[in-house]
Amino acid sequence: MNGAHLAFRAQPDVSIDADYVVVGSGSGGSAAAIVLARAGYRVVIVEAGAWRDAADYPETMLGVMRDLFPDWGANVATGDSILPIVQAQVVGGGTVINSAIMVRTPGDVIEQWDQDHGLGDVLDHRRMGAALDEIASELHVTDTRVDVTHFGENNQRLLDGLTHLGLDTHPTLRNVRGCQASARCLQGCRHSAKQAAHEGWIPEVMSLGGAVLSCAPVTRICRKNGVAIGVKGRFRHPQTRKKGAHFRVQAKRGVLMAASATGTAPLLQRSGIALPALGRFWRAHPGAGIIGVYPDEVDLYHGATQGTASIAHRMAHGLKLESLALPLELVAGRTGGAGTQLTRRLQDIRHQAMWVSAVRAEAEGTVKAGLFGGVRVRYRPTIRDLKKLRIGSAVLAKAHFDQGARAVRPGIVGLPFEIGPDEVHLIEEAPLDNRAWTWVLSHLFGGAVMGSDPERSVVGPDLHVRGARQLHVVDASVLPTTLGVNPQHTIMAVAQIIARRLANSDHTRHHGA
Amino acid sequence: MVVLLKWVLAALFPSVDGLIGLDSANLSAPLQRLSKEATLTFRLGLYLSAFAFIFSPIVTLGWPLPALWLGRSALDRHARAMAGHRWYLMRQAMLMLKTVGGAIWGADPAVRGQLGYAPYGHDPGTFRSDHRVDVVSQPQVNP
Repeated sequence: MNGAHLAFRAQPDVSIDADYVVVGSGSGGSAAAIVLARAGYRVVIVEAGAWRDAADYPETMLGVMRDLFPDWGANVATGDSILPIVQAQVVGGGTVINSAIMVRTPGDVIEQWDQDHGLGDVLDHRRMGAALDEIASELHVTDTRVDVTHFGENNQRLLDGLTHLGLDTHPTLRNVRGCQASARCLQGCRHSAKQAAHEGWIPEVMSLGGAVLSCAPVTRICRKNGVAIGVKGRFRHPQTRKKGAHFRVQAKRGVLMAASATGTAPLLQRSGIALPALGRFWRAHPGAGIIGVYPDEVDLYHGATQGTASIAHRMAHGLKLESLALPLELVAGRTGGAGTQLTRRLQDIRHQAMWVSAVRAEAEGTVKAGLFGGVRVRYRPTIRDLKKLRIGSAVLAKAHFDQGARAVRPGIVGLPFEIGPDEVHLIEEAPLDNRAWTWVLSHLFGGAVMGSDPERSVVGPDLHVRGARQLHVVDASVLPTTLGVNPQHTIMAVAQIIARRLANSDHTRHHGA
Repeated sequence: MVVLLKWVLAALFPSVDGLIGLDSANLSAPLQRLSKEATLTFRLGLYLSAFAFIFSPIVTLGWPLPALWLGRSALDRHARAMAGHRWYLMRQAMLMLKTVGGAIWGADPAVRGQLGYAPYGHDPGTFRSDHRVDVVSQPQVNP
């Protein structure tokens, strides 16, 4: 089985031995897997989604919903409103559909982890800094303007607009090589410019003797006398969802969970782990977009998908402001109105620029195993989160007008469809009601958080899931706070630090200090 | 259901001022694909939303008629009223319908051509089957 990739099969059943099994192949799972594989361990990665190469990527949004999102993108969080969750279910996970943005973990976050969660011995500045540096170098993290054929008007106008407002704003840092400016990050990069996990780390794990099981949702972590000894599940056809052969992976050194902030905690619950903090402290960066309509063409779809960002308001207001080229199909679905009014409003799509406020929300939610193998996420942004969003949206509206927009479309229920430069105050006074805003959740954290307090954490500073030996969590579930920046780089760094500790402790145990 | 959905989506994205809407687009193929391939949850949400649209003119216009019987102008007013309705669930039902309608409308080659965007290719729907790579080193814990 060395170097193998096993996809859906109706039969026969599959049984594989490994040193480590990693459940999930996104930024956390792949980052941990490559460290362990390079250290000489046999690693098997198990992924619920299919392995799709660039030539397999869908073109249309319906195809994206079918091929890259779990459950056709119908994952939602519910509270007092319904919030769509943007996640991928494919080999490479979120690294396939994100905008390739890599931001270093802010120093205040590392300090908070130390002071409030007792993680300083593991995730200190030195270790985090070294891991972040190494990953940035390996994945070719560069300024968007350096490695793209066309930066894009959408990005340039946000850069200029926020800079004119006196806010520190910059091109994003991304892990790409030879970006063709097709603004299609969300649909998977057909040019393989994005350094997604299935383009680099995962094939390397295979070349080092590891294996990958795709179309393979894990249903249970197998334990014996409190020790995690592997995982099991059944293959599932990615199109028909028909169940196939059973699979089982025996891992003699341990199980690493990286099934995402919506997948890890429910799987731990289904596997009989019962801890007071499991499924709690679930957090996110909810975001909402605001559109500016310009007299001249902007053309959202020529340039980097998300080329500009500002975290000038991160500390004061918990805000990240960024550009975003949402595909035409999604813009059509999310533009206000219906009937002739809606079609008419879409005629100026080439003149639209779209920018987003992502909120470092204070809200805490829960994630639990649902019925029929599903997941139930309860989450409700707080009034303070809504106030932050109002501030961010108002700043973006001002930036649009600074750049010459003839109107801004706030997309808030209760406000006019379009407002002028004298009406930005309407956004600042917009309803503090989640149902009035079009929130989307894309950065997710928690559910199995790390910490020193057993009542408030699932994973201890020793990196084990409490009460279960050889069971670890290496994805965003473990992060005890939000970040206020894109989490991919942080997730990778934390996963690699944990994996290195595992490799070192195993080595010490088996070969002496 | 496909016929009903076609009618509802065409009402939400009608042609106007020369821009092609879903009333002139090929809806059958994507909707059939959707009814065959989408998850049960997704389809259920979509069908319930379509029913909500059809049976809510009593709420939006005060008319005790299904939307299927409305004239063009009244249907347009119904669609608009439902999209901005004060009841959150009504707006959510419209969001579901508009998400699917928008996905089909924005991918239609004629629409894309009119807006100056290149047409999409087909969705291959393929994925990597079993595959083996050359192993450059056998696993062996580094000393």
